[in-house]
Amino acid sequence: MVWEGDRGASGGAEDDLPIFNAENLQSNVKSIYYSRTFLSIIGGVIAGIWGFTGFTGFIFYFLVMAAASFGLATQAKFSVCTYFDSWNRIFLDGIFGGLMSFVLFWTFAYDIVHIF
Amino acid sequence: MAEDLVLDTAIRDWVLVPLSVVMVLIGVLRYFVSKLMRSHQAPDLKVVKEGQVILRARNLRAASGFIPAKSFRSRKTYFTNEENGLLHVPKGQSQNAQAQMFSDPNLAMDMMKKNLSMIIPQTLTFAWVNFFFSGFVAAKIPFPLTQRFRGMLQNGIDLSTVDVSYVSSRSWYFLNLFGLRGLFSLILGEENAMDDTQRMMQMSGFGFDPSRSLSAEKDGIDIIQHDWALPKMEKRAEDALKKLLK
Repeated sequence: MVWEGDRGASGGAEDDLPIFNAENLQSNVKSIYYSRTFLSIIGGVIAGIWGFTGFTGFIFYFLVMAAASFGLATQAKFSVCTYFDSWNRIFLDGIFGGLMSFVLFWTFAYDIVHIF
Repeated sequence: MAEDLVLDTAIRDWVLVPLSVVMVLIGVLRYFVSKLMRSHQAPDLKVVKEGQVILRARNLRAASGFIPAKSFRSRKTYFTNEENGLLHVPKGQSQNAQAQMFSDPNLAMDMMKKNLSMIIPQTLTFAWVNFFFSGFVAAKIPFPLTQRFRGMLQNGIDLSTVDVSYVSSRSWYFLNLFGLRGLFSLILGEENAMDDTQRMMQMSGFGFDPSRSLSAEKDGIDIIQHDWALPKMEKRAEDALKKLLK
């Protein structure tokens, strides 16, 4: 199963013995990581420009991450075993790594637009 | 005090942006320098052999379901046999390898180079920031923090009534340090994000002690239960074909 960047990581639907092609799995996980990083940077700039402060900003970040997860799940056609080895990859992986980038760009944009 | 300070535009032009730009450039520079400085040492034959044995053992463990029980058992004895099994290391040899690994000059130089290339730019940049950019408010962070962070974030500012959200440039430096990791992984290609914490962990777990990993593999193989999956494959193929034909 080939779709753009994601590659099918396991052959066939299985319930007893999952077989994974390690290279494809890793490439899929990497593409998730990249998209999350990119989205957290963009989300940070947006949050700064709109002037979110305090908790609103963090909630915005988690909203963006949830939207990203939803988008990824849709692209993986909601069948996690064809592309990844567990649901956690799509939903939880890389969320806190992107948080620092989000905060940096949020601070940057907020300062440039609102304080200076 | 919740009033909004109005900060000079010059601070933005001459502090925030240059600091970020400098940190990005230093990261890129460090990436290329480490690429250039990577010394190629001829791999030691013994080490490579042991590494390959470990890989074979791992493959055996992972794919044990695909071979019949008898061949699995014969492979298992080949690896874990007490007399001449590949993974069995007699007790006397196990300590030497580690001592040898650490006193080997090439490896020590490599580790030192990696450590230095990481620590020196950070130290220099930090000193530069402290020298030039201290004593004024540099940025406002958009979320509120408690009073305890005041000492950490407002380092050069000696007024205690200023809101904790207004931080000095030192904290802007730290914010950049952590936040640019994601950016580096995007622009520099995959592995060479500035993940210093990961590298430190690799450094500490470095003692590539072959005998220990060999015995760990041996235990792993000993434990494993053989579950031959191939008989089920025919049933699965039948199911898949039936689905296709429907």
